[in-house]
Amino acid sequence: MSLTIEMLYPEIANLHGDNFNITYLAQCRPDARIVRTSLTDTPAFVSGAVDLVYLGPLTEKGQIAAIERLRPHRDRIEALIESGTHFLFTHNALEVLGQRIRNDEMGYDVSGVGVFDLESTLSMFGRYSGKVMGSVPGLATPVVGYKSQFSMVSVSDTAAATSIAPFLTAARGIGRNRATALEGVRRNNFVGTSLIGPILVNNPHFTRDLLARLDPNTEPVLAHESFALAAYESRLEGFRDEKRWHAHERLT
Amino acid sequence: MLRVLLAIWAGKLAALALRALGRAGTHVPGIVARKIHPGIIGAIRHPARVVAVTGTNGKTTVSNLLAEALTHQGLVVASNRNGSNLAAGVTATLIGAVSWAGKPKADIGVFEMDERSAKLVLPGLAPDILVGMNLTRDSIKRNAHPAYIAWIVSSALSEKTTLVLNADDLIISSLGTENNPRVFFAVDKLPTDGTRPHGAAVDVAICPVCETTLDWNYWRFNHIGKAVCPTGDFRSPDASYRARDIDAAAGTLSLDLDGDVRSAHLINTNIVNVYNEIAVAATLDVLGVDRDKIVAVFDEIEPPTTRFDTERVGDTAIVRLLTKGLVGVACSRAFEYLASFAGRKTAVLNIDEVSERTTDVENTAWTYDADYEYLADDTLEQIVVGGVRRHDQALRLAIAGVDTSRIVLVESEVDAADAVELKGASGVFNLHSVHNAEITGNPVQKRLRERLGARS
Repeated sequence: MSLTIEMLYPEIANLHGDNFNITYLAQCRPDARIVRTSLTDTPAFVSGAVDLVYLGPLTEKGQIAAIERLRPHRDRIEALIESGTHFLFTHNALEVLGQRIRNDEMGYDVSGVGVFDLESTLSMFGRYSGKVMGSVPGLATPVVGYKSQFSMVSVSDTAAATSIAPFLTAARGIGRNRATALEGVRRNNFVGTSLIGPILVNNPHFTRDLLARLDPNTEPVLAHESFALAAYESRLEGFRDEKRWHAHERLT
Repeated sequence: MLRVLLAIWAGKLAALALRALGRAGTHVPGIVARKIHPGIIGAIRHPARVVAVTGTNGKTTVSNLLAEALTHQGLVVASNRNGSNLAAGVTATLIGAVSWAGKPKADIGVFEMDERSAKLVLPGLAPDILVGMNLTRDSIKRNAHPAYIAWIVSSALSEKTTLVLNADDLIISSLGTENNPRVFFAVDKLPTDGTRPHGAAVDVAICPVCETTLDWNYWRFNHIGKAVCPTGDFRSPDASYRARDIDAAAGTLSLDLDGDVRSAHLINTNIVNVYNEIAVAATLDVLGVDRDKIVAVFDEIEPPTTRFDTERVGDTAIVRLLTKGLVGVACSRAFEYLASFAGRKTAVLNIDEVSERTTDVENTAWTYDADYEYLADDTLEQIVVGGVRRHDQALRLAIAGVDTSRIVLVESEVDAADAVELKGASGVFNLHSVHNAEITGNPVQKRLRERLGARS
């Protein structure tokens, strides 16, 4: 089967090189159809079949714009998640689907799309940067990545802390915030993670697993596999070295 | 007042002590003074006029050129040109510009200001003029994204400050409020400009009013160019100071100074330095310098060493190219320059971040903010990549479309110079980062020179 991958709002959601998640995926599946949906378009997933919906890192203003554009489609997004459509939301894109984003320094407190019971708080002079290494259910090898963000994410007061399954559980580094090892969100085939890298480039085993899930009838092929595996092994070796982890990367 | 004097005296004594030890003393005196009086930047008496220059690129060159140009006008200029552009460096310069009694000694202050430090510097410095060169992507860890930096600068800016801004940068041109007096400078359309943005780091693509994708009268790189919304909601500001008619062969350009067009010496052919030249001209004009003198000053000043350097050994050019690791946009400009070099070429690529080699594991996300696609060029016949993150670099090159048979990996950065093919190459590029310039850039250059010398 041919894959259809929808990139939401790439004209504003393109920070930190993360759109190469899709560039790389497209090189793994050269037959894939990439739909680039701009802010003034109606997303393809609203009325048609899409195999993967992607949203990448945004500016603070961009987060608000994305919320406004996606809010009318909340029910459709929830239905697609429940029916097993794949989603990949990276960096602060996951926060768009939460209940609330609060930014005191820039002077706003806005409601999110409201798909997940998550709240984000931004600290514009307290940017967090650090490494994360953790386990993903069903994957034999660790996922590695980086955080570089103003926001910390927590489960809303009204929800049970364990009610939202994480994307990964950090063995090293922090999760959604400094107090938890639970990082991101996994619901059916929805993956939301604050990790940048880009994650699909830095984690060939995870990418292979994603390709297999996207199209179970096609043997997954990684683009530039030898380079990707060598880069992963080299990074993993560094991540396994205790000396390279710093105090701020530990849970509080 | 006593606390101000104590801070001044402590800073001056620290500077004297450091100079006695043979050090420049351009940063520590500021740290000492700020410990005694955290608000010393605002409390100390300033020169009669103060100009600050900020932005991602060009601030060092423009502040240096301005200081030199104003010195040529016979003014006593206080400048942090040899020191730090952070709050401590600005403080140290201000202390150096007053007597022990705190009386100003300089006619004018010209301060290069790190844009990320605006919150600490601008409220106290309250410059009469702020020159904004550009805001493009920088370190992901430190600077996040250009709109964030613009917010920091605007939040710290007095509405009394006159802004001299780059109209071709839609982010920096929006600094301040509508109450700030402002003028704009620009470089008119060039033959090499396009009309459709491309590359990984385009930070303004939509109309800020209606979010429609912008059209570009000319597009240069990143979000630099002249844009217009097709719905008519928005357009780039009109610049009253413009550079045009750039004639590299003759070494001249036209400077349009608010309708008064003058021919001037072109201080450097690189587009970045054309922006620097028109920014200097605009600022001098706003300061009231006579226009004949503005034009004449470009015969006497020149930018510091550029980021590339070429030496010839026999028929081959060795091009040393500063390729600032961690900053994708800077790398894109270096790669673009390499791609524009005529003839067959090979390259040594060593741009790991030295500071993170042993104590961290470098986040190479920035390489995906850089346009490695410029290197997917048939005339670039081989790229030898050295260093700890060579596998990441190789993967990035492959994703960019570089033929994998042309990518050679060598663990040692310096040994990469021995692995690069020299035969038949018109140019051999030595691309290195800032922090490994001495430990890698110099020995690679030396080995390339020796190998080419042995052949000729």
